[in-house]
Amino acid sequence: MTFLDRTTDARKFRHWEGDVEADYIYTSGVAGERFFVALRDEGRMLASRCTACKLDYLPPRMFCEDCFAELTEYVDVPRTGRVAAVTVAHVDRTGAKLSHPQVWAFVTFEGIRGGLLHRLLVAPKQARAGLSVQARLKSRDGRTGTIVDIEGFEPVRSRF
Amino acid sequence: MTKVGVVGAGMTLFRRRLQETGKEMCFEATKMALDSAGLTRGDVDMVVCGTAPDAFDGVAMKGEYLLDGSGGYRKPYTRVFTGGGTGVFSTIAGWWHVASGLADVVLVVNEEKMSSCQPHPQSVFANIWDPILDRPLKPNLVWIFAMEMNRYMTVYGVKKEDIARVAVKNKRNAVGHPCAQLADPNITVDDVLNSEVMAWPVQRLDISPPSDGASAVILASEDFIRKRHIKDRAWISGVGWCIDSTMWTDRDLVFPEYVARAAKHAYKMAKIDEPRRQIDFAEPYDPFDYKELHHLEGLLLADKGEAPVLTREGVTERDGKLPVCPSGGLLGVGNPIAATMGMKIGELFWQLTGQAGKRQIPHEVHTGVSQAWGDLMQYGSVVVMKG
Repeated sequence: MTFLDRTTDARKFRHWEGDVEADYIYTSGVAGERFFVALRDEGRMLASRCTACKLDYLPPRMFCEDCFAELTEYVDVPRTGRVAAVTVAHVDRTGAKLSHPQVWAFVTFEGIRGGLLHRLLVAPKQARAGLSVQARLKSRDGRTGTIVDIEGFEPVRSRF
Repeated sequence: MTKVGVVGAGMTLFRRRLQETGKEMCFEATKMALDSAGLTRGDVDMVVCGTAPDAFDGVAMKGEYLLDGSGGYRKPYTRVFTGGGTGVFSTIAGWWHVASGLADVVLVVNEEKMSSCQPHPQSVFANIWDPILDRPLKPNLVWIFAMEMNRYMTVYGVKKEDIARVAVKNKRNAVGHPCAQLADPNITVDDVLNSEVMAWPVQRLDISPPSDGASAVILASEDFIRKRHIKDRAWISGVGWCIDSTMWTDRDLVFPEYVARAAKHAYKMAKIDEPRRQIDFAEPYDPFDYKELHHLEGLLLADKGEAPVLTREGVTERDGKLPVCPSGGLLGVGNPIAATMGMKIGELFWQLTGQAGKRQIPHEVHTGVSQAWGDLMQYGSVVVMKG
């Protein structure tokens, strides 16, 4: 019997159907608590600062991964960031076609180590690296202190 | 082979739930270990991370997730896991990095964040069972331990009171441990015997609960220790590890053969031919009180069936002839699977360098053995350390 002759339907054999059930509650941690409380209450995005290495981490971390200092100083992330990379998703994780393609971006900020992955609030045809963008937040009442308090990033409109 | 010493250790509080993320806990333990050794991350050549399957923290690729807090950024970094056995095994993995001459300084960081899993990590443990033979019966992990404990009691005629003494000893020993989750200076044998029955003969106080926590140790070569004039060090003189049948139905439930084989390997390396005479204290794995007894026999520190007698006679108390789990063990300090390294390797280091504080064994000790138990309850890892 060749490999190709074998059945791919496991139910044709004696079998047991199981599931791996697991639910989780994840804490945001020490640095995460600072970041998400400031985002929820004040609409600010914070980075944690390593003075020794002269760099700011976004999302903030409670330690510098390089010099291993504990970080306790937080600074505001510049309001305007830049799209470093984009993708447009056409199917969901099960492989089903999305009714509307979704635009996703990696957004970085001047002088900040790291960045954020989030929705890019533009039509797929307008999605491109290099766009100047700002976060669009939910209203204060809608914010709960999670990453989805940010609705996504939208292009900064020129005032001229 | 390069001679390897432990030069620093650190651990976080052990609690049912900590606010810190896994990587933040790793950072705290690692920072403490580095500070205690007077070293920085820059001194570290390689990093070994020990942590349970991803489902426990609920983060896939958990080793990679933990690496920044573990000091692994841009360094040779490896994750190892042998179930609860990781509590001692990750140090063995760190040891071979240095013993081979590949690295001078290796950081070993173990972590578990068991509180993430809802409502209880037991739902993850449920999936270790054979999917065809066992899982349709919806078994609970405690059943296996209960049957093993029952078999041990049946064969040697051990009374539950004598097993409960282990829980009492360890929870009292943990009173001197700053990280302890379950220290109790007033606990009695009756408290254990009257606690809730989970799966007879296992009762609530016979068992260590899940915990959040991290621990770290630093290993260094003899050359490095000499060059940096490091005074607080304990030498790793023997290592061993062994795994038994994959079928728990095929194992000797009364005697942990896998521990005995690992111990013999470690003793031979450490030139120990009379363990009862040459080993001054022990940190065997004690997630259940009967397991300390089981493991003492596996470590050849008690004859078969004799460990409950030694316990009853006070031999294994901190001031006894063979102190066992002076740290307070898993029963007293807590059981964040791999992070129990803090009470096994960490405690040997602290005892042998006179840094155990209120837990310090009152008489002089020169040689200690630590052991952890894990994988699918059939794995033993053993490390012998000398002052």
